[in-house]
Amino acid sequence: MLKRPSSRQRSANRSSKEAISLNLVPVLDTMVTLIGFLLFTSSFLSIVTVESTFPQASTKNIEEQLKETPLQLTLSLHDNDTEIWSPFDKIPSKTIPHTAPGQPDTKAIHDALIEIKKQFPSESKLVLVPIAGSNYDTMIAIMDASRNLEPSDPPIFTKNTQTGIDEAVKKLFPEIIFGNLLGDT
Amino acid sequence: MAFHRSIRSRRSPKKISSAFELQLTSMMDVLVIIVVFLLKSYSTTINTFSTVPGLQMPISRSEDSPPESLQVIITPETVTFESEKILEFIQSASTLGTNEANYEFKKTDLDEGNRRIVPLYDALSKAKDKAEILRAKSKYRDAQGNPLPFEGVLAIQADKKVRYDTIRKVMYTAAAAGYKTFRFLALKTETY
Repeated sequence: MLKRPSSRQRSANRSSKEAISLNLVPVLDTMVTLIGFLLFTSSFLSIVTVESTFPQASTKNIEEQLKETPLQLTLSLHDNDTEIWSPFDKIPSKTIPHTAPGQPDTKAIHDALIEIKKQFPSESKLVLVPIAGSNYDTMIAIMDASRNLEPSDPPIFTKNTQTGIDEAVKKLFPEIIFGNLLGDT
Repeated sequence: MAFHRSIRSRRSPKKISSAFELQLTSMMDVLVIIVVFLLKSYSTTINTFSTVPGLQMPISRSEDSPPESLQVIITPETVTFESEKILEFIQSASTLGTNEANYEFKKTDLDEGNRRIVPLYDALSKAKDKAEILRAKSKYRDAQGNPLPFEGVLAIQADKKVRYDTIRKVMYTAAAAGYKTFRFLALKTETY
């Protein structure tokens, strides 16, 4: 005997509902275990590093190295300003006043270093000369401004000596050496 | 007709069936979001560096995560090396109990024209000697069959108010003890 149309529809709905009912309990168990594991093992304190080497005097091949005058880019922090200069006068000296007492203008320093990097794209060293009273926060800010290139910075290219292809520079001056470790100032 | 419910029974509220099923879909949504967040912020590299309570580290845009190495921590009160207190700074009445510090060393802790920190030099030299003995015993050798050279890497973790003069003394002492590479630790800028 044929069922009425309304009855047929009702029974069809019931069967489709039964077909899609999933047992989510094991999935839920897995999720809870996974969250517990991730919470237990993850570290929310992310520590990064800025590397620097101790300056070392090398007498080896010194004559060969001095055939061409080096840039020896130096960044000196003073009480009221920051000076970017080269002891061999390869670049004109530039003085950038602090934004506040003891607070160097890192944005202006970064921009000035980009202009120097455009002139000397293969140069990677920078000599940092802070004053004794500079704090660690300022040191890290200056090193950040000197080492890293921002995505908003203009691209700088250098020729790869092996392939002869122009490649984009990824870092500004990544090798930072402290210039006054033996001094008293 | 026995199959048709009476009007009275149709108006009465439906009874909850005995096999009641909890709606887990919304809970699953929440859990999936939490798992995705945790996986996104999960760091696969393990570093053993820990911070000291009360130490305010500077923030850096650097992307380099520090490999495992020996560590010096400079807080406003003390200098510690590998979780061992090396020395205490002189505390003045004006700075006691405040966040400010003057980072002054005791006269007996310094030598070589007030550049070298004696207790730190001793601790660093001891650690270097220990590392060299372990390397001599290790099966890993260089091309000539000699033990691998001492790397001489020191991680420096300092409060953001520590003066360069203090850090310079630590670097000078470390260099005198044979550590030529310094890794300055900072907190990573969060970029989302």
